[in-house]
Amino acid sequence: MRRGLAIAAALLLLALPWLLHAVLPANQAGFWTGNILGRALVFGIIAMSLTFLATYGGFVSLAQMMIAGVAGYALAIFVEGAVPRIVGGAGYALAIPLGVLAATLMGLLVGAIAVRTRDIYLLMITLAVSMGVFRFVETNITWFNGYEGIRNVVGPSLLGLDFRNPWVFYHVTLGTAVLLFAGVMYLVRSPFGLVLQGIRDNPRRVSALGYNVALHRIAAFGVAGFIAGCGGVLATIYNIGISPGTIGLGATVNVLIMAVIGGLGHPVGAFLGSLIFTVFDTFAATIYDRDRFNTLIGLVFLVIVLASPDGVLGVGARLRRLLGRRAADK
Amino acid sequence: MTGVSRRFGALQAVRDVSFDVMPGERRAVLGPNGAGKTTLFNTICGDFPPTAGRIELFGADITRLKPHQRTRLGIGRTYQTSLLFNGLSVLDNLFVAVRGLRPRRFSFLRPGRDDPSLAQARALADRMRLSHLLGVEVVNLSHGQRRQLEVGMALAGDPRVLMLDEPAAGLSPGDRPELLRLLRELPRTLTLILIEHDMDIALPAADIVTVMKDGEVVVEATPDRIEDDPVVQAIYLGGGH
Repeated sequence: MRRGLAIAAALLLLALPWLLHAVLPANQAGFWTGNILGRALVFGIIAMSLTFLATYGGFVSLAQMMIAGVAGYALAIFVEGAVPRIVGGAGYALAIPLGVLAATLMGLLVGAIAVRTRDIYLLMITLAVSMGVFRFVETNITWFNGYEGIRNVVGPSLLGLDFRNPWVFYHVTLGTAVLLFAGVMYLVRSPFGLVLQGIRDNPRRVSALGYNVALHRIAAFGVAGFIAGCGGVLATIYNIGISPGTIGLGATVNVLIMAVIGGLGHPVGAFLGSLIFTVFDTFAATIYDRDRFNTLIGLVFLVIVLASPDGVLGVGARLRRLLGRRAADK
Repeated sequence: MTGVSRRFGALQAVRDVSFDVMPGERRAVLGPNGAGKTTLFNTICGDFPPTAGRIELFGADITRLKPHQRTRLGIGRTYQTSLLFNGLSVLDNLFVAVRGLRPRRFSFLRPGRDDPSLAQARALADRMRLSHLLGVEVVNLSHGQRRQLEVGMALAGDPRVLMLDEPAAGLSPGDRPELLRLLRELPRTLTLILIEHDMDIALPAADIVTVMKDGEVVVEATPDRIEDDPVVQAIYLGGGH
């Protein structure tokens, strides 16, 4: 039944732009497809890298947005056509893997730096590394063009279709998200994933069983770095470039909020959280006031975590239990 | 082990302990709470390296090795309070335990249906009388079942030395015979070091008994002589205080 549900959800997501097109005017359908759903998927991927670490390793990392930014900057530095030209010369087919590789390496580095810390100390050390990279990028002109960042990263054209077309962007992003999600679900049942969950429950026992806990922890951050890197590449293309604000404190906290709103119990929570966040972020101006976006999302955050400490996923689980009890009573 | 000591700040938890355990020997370590038994275990397993002294395993110096390196040399252990993976199933716990000493233990690839580690995990569950609970999350097991799983996980790597830290702790009287049966079924080639408060478990299972008090070894004797030993009587009946 679970597999059937997953297939139905995937088909629905695939057909969603057509459904939107059927019920909305063309420009609004395009807006919803690219700027709401596409963007929610991009940030869902980045949030999933955090959820993966938190759910299966018990590590809450505040470095994931910065790691996504490393992929974005690597892409912008190497790809031909970016303004200003830092290195240039590479096509997207080379620059995108370079970006993801840079993020994976940064993930491994963060994992190695934070290897002995847990809980609040892990949170603080990942935040410190993020803010260090943010300040460095903001002040370095030679490599990162400082405060202004690097523009004109327009993305490749696929089979003659422009990447900036909302439908193309949405489907590429959806395909990436589905592959990464399936990869995570595969990985958590592999020996690596089981040992990672063992580390979450009892690191001392994992070590006593003959495993190298540090190696598994660092590898988990590497995997999360890869996931965040894929999101970072897509986010950079979505924004047609990258600037230090992308990896600032606000952006870092936003990813954490998405993950918590959605729920840290399962990777799908990251996408639910990201969708809710994106909708509020986009329509805050219409609903209330553009400048009051943080108040609004703060209230939504409070309501969700007060009503269900384990996020939207927790609400679903509670409803299922309630309905199950009702059915049992009958 | 020779002259092993462990100090935590001003507290001398283990003081100058020396003894040899022969291959295949069953040794029980007894002593009142705070005698340093678990700390002694932790120095042998590497959780806390000793502050002084030397530990050898089959002739090799292991004093400074990390816990996972000692495990790979053949030490398996259980803990006083069960240290299990609560979010995983019984089978997954045993599978992780079995894989810990396999050559390709770090792997991103899922095991196939006929994976030898999976088969060994199932066999262990059978041996520990847990095969009807394979898919159950460990958090839902009873205390007795958790203790059985704890022993099963320590046996998973086919250790040459098995160290059990109070395996009967918290067990109901009904569960104790099952534990004693499990201990008696262990192959005679296995060296066993056992910390136990319960003499009814410790004495039938042991060939030799070491009694500790205040971090030091005070008596070493065979089980039939231990109950009559005046020092042991003083410790357990309070005559020495």
